[in-house]
Amino acid sequence: MKKKVTLTVNGEEHEIEIEANRLLLQVLRDTLGLTGTKEGCSIGVCGACSVIIDGRVVSSCLTLAAACAGKKIETIEGLAEDGRLHPLQQAFIEYGGFQCGICTPGQIMAAKSLLDENPKPTEDEVKEWMSGNLCRCTGYYKILEAVMAVVNNKIDPDFAFRKREQTAKIQSLDVYKSVAKTN
Amino acid sequence: MDYFEPKSLDEALSLLAKHGHEAKVIAGGTDVMVDIKYKEEPGCLVNIKKISGLGGIQENGGSLRIGSLATIRDVETSSLVRDKLPVLWESAHQFASLQIRNTATIGGNICRASPSGETLAPLLVLEAKGKLAFSEGEKTEPFMSFFQGPGKTSLGTKGLLTEIDVPFPAEGSRGVYLKHAVRGAMDIAMVGVAVLITPDAARNTLQDVRIGLGAVAPTPIRASKTEALLRGKSLTVALLKEAAAMAAAESSPISDQRSSGEYRRWIVEALTRRGLEQTWKAATGKEVA
Ligand SMILES: Cc1cc2nc3c(=O)[nH]c(=O)nc-3n(C[C@H](O)[C@H](O)[C@H](O)COP(=O)(O)OP(=O)(O)OC[C@H]3O[C@@H](n4cnc5c(N)ncnc54)[C@H](O)[C@@H]3O)c2cc1C
Ligand code: FES
Ligand code: FES
Repeated sequence: MKKKVTLTVNGEEHEIEIEANRLLLQVLRDTLGLTGTKEGCSIGVCGACSVIIDGRVVSSCLTLAAACAGKKIETIEGLAEDGRLHPLQQAFIEYGGFQCGICTPGQIMAAKSLLDENPKPTEDEVKEWMSGNLCRCTGYYKILEAVMAVVNNKIDPDFAFRKREQTAKIQSLDVYKSVAKTN
Repeated sequence: MDYFEPKSLDEALSLLAKHGHEAKVIAGGTDVMVDIKYKEEPGCLVNIKKISGLGGIQENGGSLRIGSLATIRDVETSSLVRDKLPVLWESAHQFASLQIRNTATIGGNICRASPSGETLAPLLVLEAKGKLAFSEGEKTEPFMSFFQGPGKTSLGTKGLLTEIDVPFPAEGSRGVYLKHAVRGAMDIAMVGVAVLITPDAARNTLQDVRIGLGAVAPTPIRASKTEALLRGKSLTVALLKEAAAMAAAESSPISDQRSSGEYRRWIVEALTRRGLEQTWKAATGKEVA
């Protein structure tokens, strides 16, 4: 049975026609092309698919898309504004809060839902809140550091710019050019 | 698969009557969605989340009324639950990840009737009752008789749980819920033990003792022989040991991938001992002598 539903994702309305058994995760990724939300375990255990629905962080792999009509859905794609990263995104870059990046959108959405509710959590509160978000590369300390950097206002808004400048400088070096060519 | 979002209880009940075994009720979906992926898809899903009046947590005379659609997170963040029903609060707090607690409902936890359902042993010791709705009418049933086997309740396929009535424990009583799992709250309980005791006025003996065991029998159970052994007595080291062993003997755990039955029995013994010790100290201010 196909169903017409209107989903509000990151403030934008999408009218779609879907089978009743479609998961929010599948609709976000396959129908709307919002592939920032990742699939890990598909059974609610890993947190990779975390999105925020009506202010609460949930696993989109266990959520029926049809049941989300009329709700406010936030995904990782909605965080940056006017080309500026959200402080959490910025902090994950600065503090090395990811390696492969699969868990990162989920980590950031979980952290965002915490900071939306409580902008000044303690380290223990962050740990408890985010214990449903698994990471198999980074080690949790850098993730915690990144979130606490936002809490303590310790991110550097010019960091990305400086990083770009540095990368450009490295790429302009003769030694880099020859390496790049041989690869 | 068909999908319905009834707006009223009557509409939901008539959908269940019409579709019979084909129909599956879904609330938070944290059990149902996993079943759909790994077992089978039902003929139709009846999503009850749009029915108004099935949520909320309110004080109602000497008890708390919890709507079946209240999420585990609603229970965990309710100051009423935390103050008046710490045994239930603890089980909601030690329940999976935040993502799951935000989605899972207490009604779903109960109706799933998994022996390891986190809130069930606490609800048994609190002597809570469920309000059940059928097309023929409503009835109230204590959870003591509600659970009939893994996944089986007196609702059958035609009824809905609408609310949960949890009487406040007697003045001076103390309770704990202890969960044993490999990954703490994140894991399904290998064993869950709820203990609620009420001392006599002089705080010398156990006027009332209730012990609920989860994940160690086909349904959550009360260790009623152990309760009878303890009632009216003062908690001594010897009695504590005897009671813990008796609770283990009252359980009939299975062996599965989480642990062997033998191990589960050891854990029942340890947690019962710990639970009694903690509540005795908290309720009487005395060490177990
Ligand atoms: C990753 C993960 C971790 C988990 N961890 C735990 C844990 O630590 N402890 C624990 O106890 N459980 C755990 N669970 C299991 C599950 O989350 C709980 O049982 C939850 O409370 C189910 O609630 P729900 O609203 O999601 O139920 P649903 O999946 O919607 O429904 C569960 C069952 O109850 C029926 N049902 C639901 N509501 C009603 C109603 N009002 N009337 C009649 N029938 C109804 C449904 O038909 C279904 O059979 C976990 C699940 C996952 C996926
Ligand atoms: S993919 Fe949803 S929790 Fe792992
Ligand atoms: S960065 Fe790879 S899983 Fe977390």
